[in-house]
Formats: sequence, structure tokens, C-alpha cells
Amino acid sequence: MFYRKLFLMLASFLLVFAFSFTAYAENVIKLGSSISFTGAKSRTGKLYVDSYKFAVNKVNEMGGVNVNGKNYKFELVFYDDKSKPTESARLVEKLITVDKVNFLLGPYSSGITIPNSIVARRYRIPMIEAGGASSKIFNKGNEYIFGMLPRAGDYFRSTLEFLTKQKPKPEKVAILYADDKFDVSVGEGAKAAAEEMGFDLVLYEKYSQGASDFTSAITKAKEAGAEATLVAGHTEEALNFVQQSKELDFSPNLLGLTVGPSEADFRKALGKDANYIYGVASWSTEMNFEGYLFENTQTFVKKFTDKFGYDPDYHNAAGIAAIGVYKDAIERAGSLDPQKVRDAIAKTSGLKTIYGPVDFMDNGQIIGSSVVLQILDGKVRQVYPASGYDAVYPMPGWDER
Amino acid sequence: MLTQILINGILKGGLYALMAMGMSLIWGVMNIINIAHGSFIMLGAYTTYWFFTLYGIDPFVSILLSMVLIFFLGFFIQKFIINFVIGASLFITLLLAFGIEILINNLALLFWTADVKSVQVSYGGANIEILGAVIPTVRLFAFLLAIAVSIILFIIMNKTWLGRAIRSTAQDLDAARLNGVNVGKIYSITFGIGTAVAAAAGTLWAVIFPISPTMGGHLTLKSFVVTIIGGLGTMMGPLVGGLSLGIVESLGTNWFGSTFENLISFTILVLVLIFKPNGILGKKE
Repeated sequence: MFYRKLFLMLASFLLVFAFSFTAYAENVIKLGSSISFTGAKSRTGKLYVDSYKFAVNKVNEMGGVNVNGKNYKFELVFYDDKSKPTESARLVEKLITVDKVNFLLGPYSSGITIPNSIVARRYRIPMIEAGGASSKIFNKGNEYIFGMLPRAGDYFRSTLEFLTKQKPKPEKVAILYADDKFDVSVGEGAKAAAEEMGFDLVLYEKYSQGASDFTSAITKAKEAGAEATLVAGHTEEALNFVQQSKELDFSPNLLGLTVGPSEADFRKALGKDANYIYGVASWSTEMNFEGYLFENTQTFVKKFTDKFGYDPDYHNAAGIAAIGVYKDAIERAGSLDPQKVRDAIAKTSGLKTIYGPVDFMDNGQIIGSSVVLQILDGKVRQVYPASGYDAVYPMPGWDER
Repeated sequence: MLTQILINGILKGGLYALMAMGMSLIWGVMNIINIAHGSFIMLGAYTTYWFFTLYGIDPFVSILLSMVLIFFLGFFIQKFIINFVIGASLFITLLLAFGIEILINNLALLFWTADVKSVQVSYGGANIEILGAVIPTVRLFAFLLAIAVSIILFIIMNKTWLGRAIRSTAQDLDAARLNGVNVGKIYSITFGIGTAVAAAAGTLWAVIFPISPTMGGHLTLKSFVVTIIGGLGTMMGPLVGGLSLGIVESLGTNWFGSTFENLISFTILVLVLIFKPNGILGKKE
């Protein structure tokens, strides 16, 4: 009996040791993320998962991360947050305490990033997130959160700027936005920018997240003669809005959406009706930046499309850049100490990534801007600032597409 | 503008009515609040989507196919699962329906992914103009079809043996049994009809709105509200409830803004529960 107990004890010790040895033997840096594999945000969540994996593989192929002459490999630890903020925060805590991850990557969507970032601060573990842009993430004085998406309030600034350059300059603008944290920031920012640039705001309305019926809002915008309509929401709402605009024969000179145009699903679902719709993004596949993990944007786009079978959009590019920032910062810090790495991230300066040069503001958000996209012949093209593709303005009516 | 808003509301109301009809039927006959109702609507939408994209069958034709398919699905779910708890407390049946909903939704997520899909019919953007208001043709078709389905259901319930059997089962179980009604079978058929009507609503939904595996939850809630507003136990209840809700929502979102759509629905629900607890058409017990 005694021997059996002893044997069992020894065996379990051995097991524990075996595991810890494998962990120590391969120098790894664990990056943890609780992200939406299922639930409402899983469509976009997947884009981040793909990108994180792609970038981490690339870093490891390049020889990993050099910390004071010693090479470490990146290892990803994922949990499914089921698109729920509370679940996500709990899982981040588990990543830190049970899985002992070194650093954190963000989830998707502002609403989930906020509770995550608070947990990260509590444990003083840096988190680089590429899926949340609401100002509410960055105005809490949290030193451990870094965001790769530009200020939500500035999303439509470039579109409005584009409008001021049209002849004749349109006067009446309608703005609609969903009632979640990110889109409220986008809507409020767009309103401020529109007023500043001298537009007449004929409709400024909030709708509930997941709303499927926009007939009232469209009827109002049509009655008011809105020449440009900007909608900040999610893919499903964007699809609904476009379809119902067509049904009610509402064809403004410019229809601009935040989420949607840059996603392949959106174009597939709408077919030719997607043509001429405007979008905004912090990045587009037309850009060409010299990269640090990948040679440049175009090479990256090609490699990514070959591997995953879909065109990357700004979510993907931002996710890739997040890994790039970690590699760079850890190497500069020369240590895996969370505080030292945090300070190194904050000091990131002009880091070359396929997403564009990375610098952070004092609050941790990236210094960046958004470009205006338009769907032309079923493809997303950058039309402002100029990139070689001419914008079609005003948009042709629904029956001319 | 007011005409346009009213038209928007009426057209939406027709769809609401059709959505609620199946739920109201199952609730009325079996006293089961079918929380999984929205999932059957979703399945109807997806069968339509597949018939359309794989075989190019027009949704207004494939509506019959998806109704038949989902009828059998509902029939067997009732026969092999729900019939076992039919006499149990409301809580148990609610729990079971909730389980079925989770199962269906997650299978749908597994097979079809969370991607948003849409059925692009060639006449999707066509519309008619009357009195300066635009009537989208698809919505009009959907509305007319919803009315047609309610009339057919009305005829089945009032003029056929099956209808009488279903109504007698709902009224007095023992009396129905004594008169030779196979109650178990009637329950399965009723559930099947309920889900088939849900599938019809799903088909029309797919023509008008984008679809996704998680669309059902919201629709269950809307069907529930419409059923309560219209009143249980009458065939015209869902129609009256649906149209009232559609119009009030349309007017309400116009005056107060789109954020208030759900607030408006639930305010009406509360008001109806306070002033006419049995619904607009509901009979006093």
C-alpha cells in the first residue's frame, strides 16, 4: 500500500517536472488572448485569430525574439470569450494567473476590450489590442493598454474632408450610429467634424445595436434630402441599411459605412449593389508600406491571401502589427519583465509595419488616420487620399449598377 | 411622409403576424411557450437561402419546400422529445424549448458559420409608387403571402376535421380523447404546423433582411410580444397584434428615433398586459 502511494507520488512529480522542463527547454514567450471564436463577434474575431497566428509563425520562422542574445519563440494561448465581455474579462484573469502568459493581445470590439484592459491593468501586464478604438478604452488613465486602431471619433473625418473637395460641395449630411461604445464615439466625432466643416446636419440619430429595420430612418433622411449619409454600425446592420435604401429607392450622392465595405462577406452578400458604396479604414490593401515582419504591404497581402483564401482587411493588418510591436519592444527592453516591456512599447517610434509606421499617443492609442475606400467593380479601392483610383461621385442610382 | 411611415409599418406588421402565428398556435393548443420559435424561423430562412443559391429556386416557390421540410422537423421534435414532458410544469417545457434553441443555433453556427448571408433576388430593388410613397415589391409580396398563409391556416382550423381535432384537444383533452382523437399525433401535427409557419416567415425574412444563425433570439421575442398583444386562442390575434406592433413601431421610431424600437415594443406589451391582460382579441376566461 505504502509503495503504491509512493510510486504514485513519484510519478506525479515526474509528470509535473516533465511538463515544466518542456516549457523551460524551449524558450517561449506566451501571448494570451481571450477572443470571440463563437457568438456575435466571431466573424471579425476570426480575422484577428488568423492574423495573430500568421504573424507569430512568421516571427518564429525568422528565428523568434532576441532577448539579450537568447532566442525565444512566440506561443499563442487562446480562449473563446463567446463574444461576452464578462466572460472575456474572466478568461484574461485565467490567462494571467493559470496559464502565466507573459503578455496579452486584445479581443475584438471596444465593448469587450474595456473590461479586458482593466484586468490587464490590475495585474500590470501590458496588452496590445487591435480590435477596439473607442475613446473609453484610453481615457481611463490605463498605462497597460495600447491600441492599434485610430481614434474612433476620427473615422469619418477623412470622408467629410473628401466631401468638401467635391464640386458642388454637398450641404446636407445624415449621420446614423449604433448605440455601442465604439459607434457612439464614431457618431459623436463625425457630428463634431461635420459641424466644423460647415455641413448641415439634417439627421443625427442613434439606433439600437442589431436593429434590422431602418425604414423610418431612411424615410427621414430621404425626406430631408440628405446628400451624404454616414452609417456607423456593424456588418449586419450595414447590409440591412443598403438593402432597405435600395427598396425605398434612397440613393444619396454618397453612402459611407464604417464596417462592411472592407469585408469580403459584405460584397458577396450584396453583389453588384455593393458597388460605389464608400467605406473608411485605417488601412487598405492598396497601401504600400515597408514592413518589418513582411517586406512590404503588397507581399504581405499576397502571402496572406494565398494562405487563408480571403483578402486581408484593416483588422488583419492591425493584428499583424500588434505582434510586430511586441517583438520590437521586447527586443529593445532586453527583458521579459512586464513593466520594462510596457515602457518599451510606449517608446515605440516609427516602427515600420505593413500597417504603416507605428507611434503611440500618451494614452496608448496609435497615431493614425483613416482613408476613404470605395467599392469599384466588386473590389475595395482607396479613393482618398489619392491612390490612383478615381472616386465615383455622386454614386449612380440603384438601377444603374 | 406619414403615408410612407404607415406603409412601412403595415408591411412590417404582416411579417410580424406570420412570425407570431406559429408560436400562438403551439402556445394555444399545447400550452408550450416555444422559446425555440426563432430558431425555426432561422432554419426556414437558411433552407430558402440554400434552395436559392444551390438550385436557383425562387424564394416564393421554395417557401413550400421549406415549409414541408420544417414541418417534418417540428413533427419529429414534438413526437420524440417534447411529447415526453407535455404534462409537466411550464418551467420544464420552457427549459426544454430553451435547450432545443441552443442546440439548433449552435449546430447552425457550426455548419453555416457566423457569416451574414443574404438572398439576392433579381427583383429585390423593384418598387411601386403610390401617393408619393414607395412600396418595395418584395415587402408587398411578403405581406400578401403572410395574409394568404393566415387565411389558409384559418380555413384549416375552422373548416377541416384536423382543425376541429386540434381545437378540441386545446379545449378539453379528455373529451377529445373520448371522441377518438389521437392526442399525441395531434400535438405533433400542431407543432409541425407551427414550425412550418415559422419557416414561411423565415423565408420571407430572408428575402427582405440578411440572415445569420443568431437571428432567431430577437425574433422569438418579437413573436412573443405580438402573441401577447394580439391575444391567445384566436386565429386573428397574431394578425391584429402584428399589424398593431408594426404600425406603432414605425410611428414610434419616426418620432423618437430608432434606438427606441425595442422600448416601444415592450411598452406596448406592458400597456396591453395592464389594460387588456388577455390581449386585444383575447376572450375573458
